[in-house]
Amino acid sequence: MSDTTEISVIVPVVKLLDTTGRLTRQYLDVLESTGRSFELVYVLDGEHEEFLEHLWAVAQSEPRLRVIQLAKNFGEASALTAGFESTKSPVVLTLPAYAQVEPDAIPKVLERLRDCDVAIATRAPSHSSSSRFKAARRRIFHWLVRIATGQTFSDVGCGVRALKREVVNELPLYGDQYRFIPLLATRRGFKVCEVTVREVEQGGIYDHHGVSAYLARLLDIFGIVFLTRFTKKPLRFFGAIGSTIFAIGALLLAWLAVQRLFFDVALADRPALLLTSLMVVLGMQVFALGLLGELIIFAHARDIKEYSIERIVN
Amino acid sequence: MDLSIVVPLYNEEGSVEPLYRAITDALDSLPLEHGAEILFVDDGSSDTTFACAERLALLDRRLRVVKFRRNFGQTSAMAAGIDLARGTYIVTMDGDLQNDPRDIGQFIAKLEDGFDVVVGWRFDRQDKLVSRKIPSRIANWLIGKVTGVPIRDNGCSLKGFRSGVIKNVPLYSEMHRFIPAMASMAGARIAEIKVRHHARQFGRSKYGLSRVYKVLFDLLMIRMVSGFAARPLAWFALLALPFFLLSTAILTWQVVALFVGSEGSLPIAGAGIFFAALCFFLLFSGVLAELINRTGDMRIMKASLLTATERRNRPRAGKQPLRDVEFSQ
Repeated sequence: MSDTTEISVIVPVVKLLDTTGRLTRQYLDVLESTGRSFELVYVLDGEHEEFLEHLWAVAQSEPRLRVIQLAKNFGEASALTAGFESTKSPVVLTLPAYAQVEPDAIPKVLERLRDCDVAIATRAPSHSSSSRFKAARRRIFHWLVRIATGQTFSDVGCGVRALKREVVNELPLYGDQYRFIPLLATRRGFKVCEVTVREVEQGGIYDHHGVSAYLARLLDIFGIVFLTRFTKKPLRFFGAIGSTIFAIGALLLAWLAVQRLFFDVALADRPALLLTSLMVVLGMQVFALGLLGELIIFAHARDIKEYSIERIVN
Repeated sequence: MDLSIVVPLYNEEGSVEPLYRAITDALDSLPLEHGAEILFVDDGSSDTTFACAERLALLDRRLRVVKFRRNFGQTSAMAAGIDLARGTYIVTMDGDLQNDPRDIGQFIAKLEDGFDVVVGWRFDRQDKLVSRKIPSRIANWLIGKVTGVPIRDNGCSLKGFRSGVIKNVPLYSEMHRFIPAMASMAGARIAEIKVRHHARQFGRSKYGLSRVYKVLFDLLMIRMVSGFAARPLAWFALLALPFFLLSTAILTWQVVALFVGSEGSLPIAGAGIFFAALCFFLLFSGVLAELINRTGDMRIMKASLLTATERRNRPRAGKQPLRDVEFSQ
């Protein structure tokens, strides 16, 4: 890679990929048409022997294509991070390894970086019923995200994102968090823009969302709520829940004791005693977890910068 | 450099210039050998605050302006200013002209006297009684009781620090209220001095009655960290103690009942077992906390080195003993 490369295009190859090999060509053609210098970096998350063969075949005649292979499956966030780390260009573009949007729309996304720090593509559904179903699913997900975080996006899951290097440097990614790049970037104070593009019809094979996928998305939302609201103050989260449970349990326990002492209601055969003492115990445990969380933050407070500086004069 | 003045600004376009003039006037009258710097931290203002400050900075090398990408809150703005400050002493103040830069001299004098943290006390506070002064009275009383550092005015932004001390105090979320408490953990010598306070001239107040539970949980956390940060196991053991006593009593009673011949009761024995389990959980949490302490960088613990002094001579007459809060005037 030369230092004058303007755009690093990173394609994480995780599970879904275009096996025909047509997409790589399309990407190269579209990037060529922007007239800016670029490199195309494929990051293979684990073994993808067949695809690797295909990439090598393309790379024969295309010096701007690079391939990075992770030693085993680490997931999309790791693949992206590996791509970010191995490039230096001022602009980073991530693209999906399968046809998600019409490739012609990619320059439009890049264009938006003129006035934004992050530009993400937003898929407008085509008219088929499966596409409409997916669009509805997406709307529900983003509605939940909006309730949870207060941020309005309509398609955070789209793999086409253009980012300025400074954004990449400030966003630590792990697990499933690549999905939340726009949310995390907004939280750091970066300007995120959405560019509406046409969705590509993928056929059935790419579209198996089992129950586990939905559960995973729900966990994602829970995770992002915790991350955006309580990272620095875990006790506010655990403490509020824990002390509520504890207080209810303790009050009921006291009531049981009063009943036993003054109204002569036998205590020994009441399951309510078990329930209330369990609540006291559970409340204390949740609270203790919050304290541990606070201690973790306090012990590492100086490593976690809470602010993001745009500019310093003098 | 002798002195850094850190001022967080949030939508204070009207105040920037008068504030800058007031600070530079105050600085000019101070006998500083190695100069001073002013750090304006623009906390993501939506008005022209940054532009105003930048214009001033272009004419004066002493003024540095930091621009946040978005609004991160006053504590973050102070933390950023303190992180970037280069002076031996750091004075923080509000950007709304309610603090008076002419008081800075007093702070320097106290710091020169050997205090590590000097806290301003707005003894003649110009704010609304019900919405601002009374809640703050209660909060200060509570914070003093819980942390053991009886500062009369924790909310006053006008504070002076020895740079090495404050740079090692963790400042995040809304922790600026607890700076004196945390600094005293590191053995800082704290003094409180009276400062002037003016009514608001420009803009409007950005505080309100914040939710009480936040402060309460923060206090609890500070209590834990400040009292027992060095040995959290002891703290968790203390939490476990009442439940230990309770479960021991219940279980002994049940076992004795068995031997005496009367039948034990399942719910009562069960409750005893729950409480015993809680004891174990809390004790193990304490062990985990010890582990966290080991791996974290508890800089505040290392700050004890910064506040330690070599005592070759007897202390000067009239100087307060270590860790005592001095109230002057």
